[in-house]
Parts: sequence; C-alpha cells; structure tokens
Amino acid sequence: MRRAVIVIGTTVVGLVAVLSFHTVPAKLTLGSLSAGTASRSTTTTTPAGASPPTTGSAPPSPTTAVPTTVAPATTRSATGSPVNYHFGLISVTATVSGSKLTNVSIASLDDGGSPRSQSIDQQSIPILEQQALQAQSANIQGVSGASYTSAGFQQSLQAALSQLGFK
Amino acid sequence: MGTIVTIDVYVEAGIPVDRLAAHVGRARSALHRADDVFSTWKVDSPLSRLRRGETTVSQMPLEVAGVLDACRVARELSGGWFDPWALPGGFDPTGYVKGWAAERALDALRVPDVAAAVVNAAGDIASFGGPAPGAPFRFAVVDPFDRARFACIVEHTGAVATSGTYERGQHLFDPHSRGVTSALASATVTGPELGMADALATALAVGGPDVFERIDALEGFEALVIGHDGDREWTCGFPLAHESVSSSGNPAA
Repeated sequence: MRRAVIVIGTTVVGLVAVLSFHTVPAKLTLGSLSAGTASRSTTTTTPAGASPPTTGSAPPSPTTAVPTTVAPATTRSATGSPVNYHFGLISVTATVSGSKLTNVSIASLDDGGSPRSQSIDQQSIPILEQQALQAQSANIQGVSGASYTSAGFQQSLQAALSQLGFK
Repeated sequence: MGTIVTIDVYVEAGIPVDRLAAHVGRARSALHRADDVFSTWKVDSPLSRLRRGETTVSQMPLEVAGVLDACRVARELSGGWFDPWALPGGFDPTGYVKGWAAERALDALRVPDVAAAVVNAAGDIASFGGPAPGAPFRFAVVDPFDRARFACIVEHTGAVATSGTYERGQHLFDPHSRGVTSALASATVTGPELGMADALATALAVGGPDVFERIDALEGFEALVIGHDGDREWTCGFPLAHESVSSSGNPAA
C-alpha cells in the first residue's frame, strides 16, 4: 500500500484553503494552508516505509510510524504541524490504538491572546475534539454547520494521522 | 470573504503529484477569483464599485450578471426571506456567493483524475462522486444545542447548507421586519447546488414555516429544521441516514 503526504502552501489574502486528498484503498493527504501574506510552497511525497519528509514547521516523524501492514493494537501518538485557523495557530495531537483513533487533543495553541479569540477557543476546541472522535465512529466525510476553528483543527489532525500512517 | 474552505479530493493511488497539484491549483484559483470579484471588504473589487454606484452590471465581469440573476431567483423562491437587496449597507450577495464560489472550485475538480470531491466552505458543503463507487457521501449536521454532538447524518452527494444562530450569535437579518432575528435554532437545506441551498437555508432560519413549505414544494431541494425548543421537522424527501432517525423527530406531514 502506498501512501503520500503532500504539503502545498500559497499566498492568500482573505481566503484560507485546507486541502486533503484521499485515495482508494490508500489515502493520500494533501494539506494546503495559507494566511496573511506569507508564502510557502513545499511539495513532498513519502512512499510507505521511506523516511517521511520534514516540511516547514512539521516535526520529523519516526520511520516506524508508517507501517506497510496494519499493526496490532499498539498505541502511538503524533502531533500535526501548527495550522493557522483564522484566529491564530493550532496544533493537534492524535493517538491511535491499532486501527482506532482513541484520543485527540490540542498540542499547542497561539491565539494572540485576544479575549475574542480565547472565548472562541474555549467554546470550540473541546467540541472539535469530541467531534473528531464521533466522526470516526459515524463514518462521515464532513460536518455541516461547523466553526471557524474546525478547518485548522482538522488539518493539523490530518497531519498527525498521516505521520501515524493512519487513514 | 475571510472564510475557511476545506477541499477533499478522492483519487486513484499513484496519480502524479504535479497533476494533483494542478487540479487543486485551479480549484483554489476559482475561490480567489470569486473573492476578488465579490468581496465587500476590498474597496476596489468590482462588487464594491457596483455597490457605490460607480459602475453598472454590464461593465462587470460576466459572472456578476449570473450571480445577480441567481439572487433574484433565490429571493423569489424564498418568498423574499432571502433578499440581498434589503440588507443594511446596500446590496450584498455574500449569502449566495459563498456557496456559488465553492461550486466553482468543485467544477475545477471535475476531471478524469478525480473520482469524487468535497468542498466545505465553513460548514456549507458542495460535493460530487462518493467515498466509494455507488455510495453517497455522509455529512453530519451539528447539533445547535450541543456542538460537540451531531444532530443527524445526511446521506447526500451534492449540496448541504446549514444556517443558524449558534455559531456566531445572532447574525441573520430579516428583510421583512428589517431586524436581526431567527425563527429556528438551525436550518439545513440539501440540493443540487450550494449557492441556492445556502440562500434557502438562510431564508429558512429567518422565515421558518413559510420557507419550509416553499422548499418542500421545490423540486430537488429538501429541508430539516430544529426549533428553539429542540423539535425537529424535515421534508419527506430529506436524505436522513437511517441510523440518525431518532424517536424525537417527526417527519413533516
């Protein structure tokens, strides 16, 4: 099974696009993220078993995190790269036990300290953590009526899951 | 527009990365193009100049006339509950344009390489294909009283738009009373196209039962509403996933 992680960034004013790619049976994840006037452009692929790329601010991930076969129920965690979510930067840690997503939590959050951002964070983040876990059991491909924060959260989560070789 | 758009693309394994990047690049360009033309925040955008009366529709990029026509149709279909011309601050088609722009991004992905795609514009979804051959997409609708939960799951490939007051406080404008209001806690509309679904969901959240009946009579569009008291109603053809039909809900007669 072949798996790839691609990160493409671009310059954006006004719009932020978060992209993810799926393949059948293997899932290919492509994240694209941009904010303000910063311009980044990295494109990398990682065949299974090869050393994953270090892209931008993403922490290097262990080569053993990309299994070619489904591992038995070992518990592994990874943290996605920080993602701009409209009010600041968010980074998500995912924990996987075997083929099940067992925990999702915020690894880091920089909301600039404004009261409005913090109020949104306090409301949204526990909700997003629960939604991610519930979405897995419900087998859904999207959420209607989601929040500002959700796209950044999902993208960092996706990056964490990719590091774990989890689809 | 300052919104966040998530794009999910389903492709065969092994597709060259540069080809994928090109498809996504076109989808992204479509979003930027829409933002450049229709932004009410950019003072020099064609829409801003139109709002100030500095120019006419015939001098605008071609898509402006198309969007204006669609807004007129949405106003008529919603019985006036969606009315970009009645907003404080002047003509503002943003309620239609966000979904319309997502559809333009989706169009850019309709190529042989891409089996299916989902464009999620801050909770309003446009899609084609499915997660597997012959299977529709499954999208959750957020519970307006507990956003950590889902109110229901919709099985529908196409457009799903949800409008309500729970996300950013009271932000819906009633063109009839010219005040801020909402008849419902949450209104979801499914249909073939997201611009119209989004406009109708906005109208439904403000207008309530009157708009519900109009959507029920409309070919191709379905609605689910959640009242401030938690009561749920949905049109006969609303594509609820089987397991999400709870005993608390009653189908509309």
